[in-house]
Amino acid sequence: MSLALNTARFNSKLTSQCQNCSLSALCLPISLADDDVNRLDQIIERKKPLKKGDILFRQGDEFESVYAVRTGTLKTFNITNSGEEQITGFYCPSELLGLSGIDKNIYPVSAKALETTTVCEIPFAHLEQLSEQIPTLKHQLFKVMSRKICDDQQMMVLLGKKNADEKVASLLLNLSARFKKRGYSATSFRLAMSRGEIGNYLGLAVETVSRVITRFQKNGMIQVDGKEISIVNLDQMQKLIGMSVDCDKIENI
Amino acid sequence: MLWNTQLIHKYNISGPRYTSYPTAPQFDANISKLSLIEKMLLPSNKPLSLYFHVPYCAKLCYYCACNKVITSDYQKGDEYLELLIEEVRLKSLMVNEDREVQQLHFGGGTPTFLSIKAFTRLINYIKQHFNLLADDKGEYSIEVDPREISREKLVALRELGFNRLSFGIQDFNKRVQTTINRIQSYQLIDDLMAASRELSYQSINFDLIYGLPYQTVETFTETLDQVIELNPDRISVFNYAHIPRRFASQKLIPEDQLPDGDTKLAILKLCIDKLTEAGYQYIGMDHFAKPTDSLAMAQNQGELKRNFQGYTTHANCDLLAFGTSAISQIGHTYVQNHTATKDYRKSIESGQLAIMKGYVSNRDDQIRHNVIMSLICNFELDTSEVESEFDIVFKNYFKSELTELLKLEKDGIIELTNGPHLNIRVTDSGRLLIRCICMTFDKYLNNVISYSKVI
Repeated sequence: MSLALNTARFNSKLTSQCQNCSLSALCLPISLADDDVNRLDQIIERKKPLKKGDILFRQGDEFESVYAVRTGTLKTFNITNSGEEQITGFYCPSELLGLSGIDKNIYPVSAKALETTTVCEIPFAHLEQLSEQIPTLKHQLFKVMSRKICDDQQMMVLLGKKNADEKVASLLLNLSARFKKRGYSATSFRLAMSRGEIGNYLGLAVETVSRVITRFQKNGMIQVDGKEISIVNLDQMQKLIGMSVDCDKIENI
Repeated sequence: MLWNTQLIHKYNISGPRYTSYPTAPQFDANISKLSLIEKMLLPSNKPLSLYFHVPYCAKLCYYCACNKVITSDYQKGDEYLELLIEEVRLKSLMVNEDREVQQLHFGGGTPTFLSIKAFTRLINYIKQHFNLLADDKGEYSIEVDPREISREKLVALRELGFNRLSFGIQDFNKRVQTTINRIQSYQLIDDLMAASRELSYQSINFDLIYGLPYQTVETFTETLDQVIELNPDRISVFNYAHIPRRFASQKLIPEDQLPDGDTKLAILKLCIDKLTEAGYQYIGMDHFAKPTDSLAMAQNQGELKRNFQGYTTHANCDLLAFGTSAISQIGHTYVQNHTATKDYRKSIESGQLAIMKGYVSNRDDQIRHNVIMSLICNFELDTSEVESEFDIVFKNYFKSELTELLKLEKDGIIELTNGPHLNIRVTDSGRLLIRCICMTFDKYLNNVISYSKVI
């Protein structure tokens, strides 16, 4: 009786995913405090689920909104002059995308769903206005942007200085930390992206990615079952990328 | 303990019980809910104390001043349960789920109004959303109306993780019981105690009330003898405040049969004498505990604290409160839920916290809070602690208060020791008048509020 009754009776739009979301400082206070029950609905739109391959926004589109991933995974990418796709990031649940459009008022990248994906849309004008009213929201947004800058700096080092093994290990550890942060297993997860997409993102040939993954498997560092990854030896992997002394760094990527 | 009748007569004025500072009358109904919720959302890893208020009672006790709803319709408990569960879900979204729940308390009303099935569902739901501790590592307690509990329920509650009980005894005298409409025999309590001990509940508290109609020193001597015979771990002896103007059911209490002031004082003295003689430690205010009980041990180690449930051993917790009229305390922010069930229901059904009032303490409030809580818990204040924590010079900050303190010293209620830092110690005869000492530091007392007498 319980669950069915609850959803029918109670009007809250908040779900357990909202707690860890990058926009929690917005949605939690607004929906828990407001006497106007519909206010959150006016600010945040829950979009229809995207199917695998659907585009959320296109490079060059006018920038209006940022998006928080509820479920699923997206990638962002540029199209180069020669028409090739260059992947610039992967986005997991609770993460914000679209922020790079603030500067020029157009999205500099496109975003595509890698699997069935749901997002919340918030018009940036609203977000800006509300962050004036809610100091913790402003702080949270600064943190999200700062983290993104850190990520990109790490990525520059990764692309310029690291070998193939280190690159793949870094990505796996980065995803692991992101899953852990949302309360999921840090050592057992599903990769939404293909080997080709991983190679494109890390600047490696798809064959190299496959070879590295096979090698990690043989070393007993990971177990692979299709897209399911289990990290068997987290320590060894952290040592490999030279971050064993300061595990926090990995957590915060 | 020194019983000083002269002092007691001089200082037996009305005052707050300081379960918080500022006290509840300062809470503001017009405060921005958003600002309260922002404070609640500040990240923290402090342990938690959870309080659940169940307002329903099957029978009306005439003396009661609690937030309650009298009904014989047990269905109401099940409906209320759904609201509590949704409130648990909403509040759990606001805090880190790893935070240890060191304390869990059910109060009322009559929490045992809820069915075993309801308790099972609620506790299991809480377990999914908060970090409840297993193996009796937390203090999980429930107030029990001896008339509203079965052996089965006692067994079920123990299995669900409750390890402490608080029985509402009030008085064993038949005539008193009849007059206040709460009839429960000694045999009933004796059986309950036996069952509770057998189920290895770790601590059992008795609530008693003095100042009820037909009470005399003789009748209360008998009651106390029976209480001591039953051997609870803690005893609270509350002063009945007769304010029929505010609590309608108190009109049913025959005013002309209330004990006079002298009799009340004599009964209180009797309690202190008899209970300390029986081996209980006087904790302060209205609380007594066996020296082996965690409350007494905490006080002896200077670790006793005070919150809305009275004295407590769990100092460093944020208190999250659920249900009608319940008050949460997060850091120095207080948030009180709606007292009326229909307002509470409306908020929870539309997905909002049922906030009626709240208060965000400023720096001065926090300083005074520390001073008052230290005095009321330890009966002593080492001013160097508050000086270094808040970077103040006590004698300058509390200049006008010091004049009052000197008067209290002259009357032998406190001792002031001047050293590099002032030290305030409450004398034995001052312990009963602790509320008066605290009132010296209360900035908000000029507001007209009717409080109960301090003893």
